[in-house]
Amino acid sequence: MKFRPAILTRHRVLLLFLVLVFAWSIFSVNWSGPIIHTGGRSSFLKLWWSLFPPDLTLDFLWIASQATWTTFTFAVMGIVLAITLGLPMGVIASGILFERSSVKRVPLIIVFRGLLAGMRAVHELVWAVVLVVAIGLSPVAGIIALGIPYAGILGRIYAELLQSTPRAPIDALSQTGASQLKILFYGYIPAVLPDMLSYTFYRFECSIRAAAILSFIGIQGLGYQIQLSLHDLMFDQVWTLLLFLILLIVLVDLWSTRIRRSLLV
Amino acid sequence: MRKFASILITSNNTLRHMSFAKGSLFLFGIFIIVSWIFIFLPGDSGFVELFRLETWTNIKIFILRLTGTESDLTPAFFQVDRWIATSKLAYQTLAMSILAMAIAGIGAFLTMVWAARNVSNGDLGGVPSRFGQLMYYLVRANYVVSRAVPELVWAMIIVFFLSPGILPGALALGLHNLGIVGRLTAEVIENLDPAPSVSLRSAGASNSHILIYGIMPQAMPHFITYLLYRWEVVIRTTVVVGFVSAGGLGREFILRLNWFHYTDVTLILIWYLLMVIGVDLLSSWLRKIVDAD
Repeated sequence: MKFRPAILTRHRVLLLFLVLVFAWSIFSVNWSGPIIHTGGRSSFLKLWWSLFPPDLTLDFLWIASQATWTTFTFAVMGIVLAITLGLPMGVIASGILFERSSVKRVPLIIVFRGLLAGMRAVHELVWAVVLVVAIGLSPVAGIIALGIPYAGILGRIYAELLQSTPRAPIDALSQTGASQLKILFYGYIPAVLPDMLSYTFYRFECSIRAAAILSFIGIQGLGYQIQLSLHDLMFDQVWTLLLFLILLIVLVDLWSTRIRRSLLV
Repeated sequence: MRKFASILITSNNTLRHMSFAKGSLFLFGIFIIVSWIFIFLPGDSGFVELFRLETWTNIKIFILRLTGTESDLTPAFFQVDRWIATSKLAYQTLAMSILAMAIAGIGAFLTMVWAARNVSNGDLGGVPSRFGQLMYYLVRANYVVSRAVPELVWAMIIVFFLSPGILPGALALGLHNLGIVGRLTAEVIENLDPAPSVSLRSAGASNSHILIYGIMPQAMPHFITYLLYRWEVVIRTTVVVGFVSAGGLGREFILRLNWFHYTDVTLILIWYLLMVIGVDLLSSWLRKIVDAD
């Protein structure tokens, strides 16, 4: 066994490194200026006390439910676009469509992996801001902005799942003379479908949060209403909207957990 | 016979589980159709515009402007002083992301043990107490709230009382990730092997001894891994939080876009991508160190 001084294990070096980096980040904040700005304390207290109770008038509950529904529909359409883009790209990026000897295989894998990486490197809201300038503000711009990064994430996971399928059923299929496309549909897809579905449903929960903040570019929904209420200093309305958002997320979280559990038996 | 019965029960269970998944898929299909109708029926969805030549010319012009080929001015990404100016903002963004991870990390570290079911109910050898039960529900509820609210919404609220800069953005990012990392690590603790803790207890160890020698050594590597993994996500989101909290690249990105300084936008995007790639590489390298021992 190699001797290593107990105090210098890799873990401790790593921990020391993390603590040092943290110290550096604290000093990068400008502590000399006012941390809480004028009136900050009173608006914080006002914000806190308006939770008791939040705005529960029928009119506002109606507005909040409409906003929740809009956010939900955007999340659904975003994840649908992400699947339609991500699935074919992921299949190509996994390289299973080609013979191992094919010349096209490696370049195609590299190109599509790079594309997927580029799509998910940029945050959905950055995509949204850029798309609004390029094609104008419309629901479609919001959906595309949601779809691109999520396609990048889903495509990569799909590719990884497809690559890690057990070889035996695939080899058996290819020995019967099935075409690559047939092997994909009858060999690969059934093998990875449960994992694919459970991951996609997990991502759906994330896409709801993402859809809520699309309001920043002017898309309707929960985030848009939160912004309006904040500007009007109606903090009790902000709380109502936040509670609706939390409820929606928790419901979808419970749903997707249940699906994951049922698929991973 | 018993084996046969158990096979029957499992297959029956699997069937029931599969039917839940199928039902969910069916429900999701309905959601897709209804959402489609809801968004695209009003006619102002912008879907038709996607197929107009005009839209695509606009996109082409936009891309030409980003690359700077459309105007006679020297593009910002060919000017050394613009690179230096933007690098300062990138530095701020990096600091913001690390501060955010520190806030999330410290917050989760202090609370995650309370949020584990097997700690609060005594499965790990501790003594179950009313206080522990109460803390379990309190901490879990806090995680749910801080996780469910997106970073940008936290930031919008926080700038109401904190002066703009790195701190409010880091706090917003930290709050959101505190919920995520806390929950993930609490779940790791719940799945821990209870043997070390239980034998520590039977050897007469106190609660804090069990925590330090029974739980932490097993949970810490996972905790650090989750933090590093979330850091990759946070660096992407830092720019977005900067839109409202005025720290780092985010604010500059919005301003340059509004002022039609397109080549500056390109420069900011280049820095953004450089940081995302850099953090991805650094994080995966550090995660390998965690796994190595």
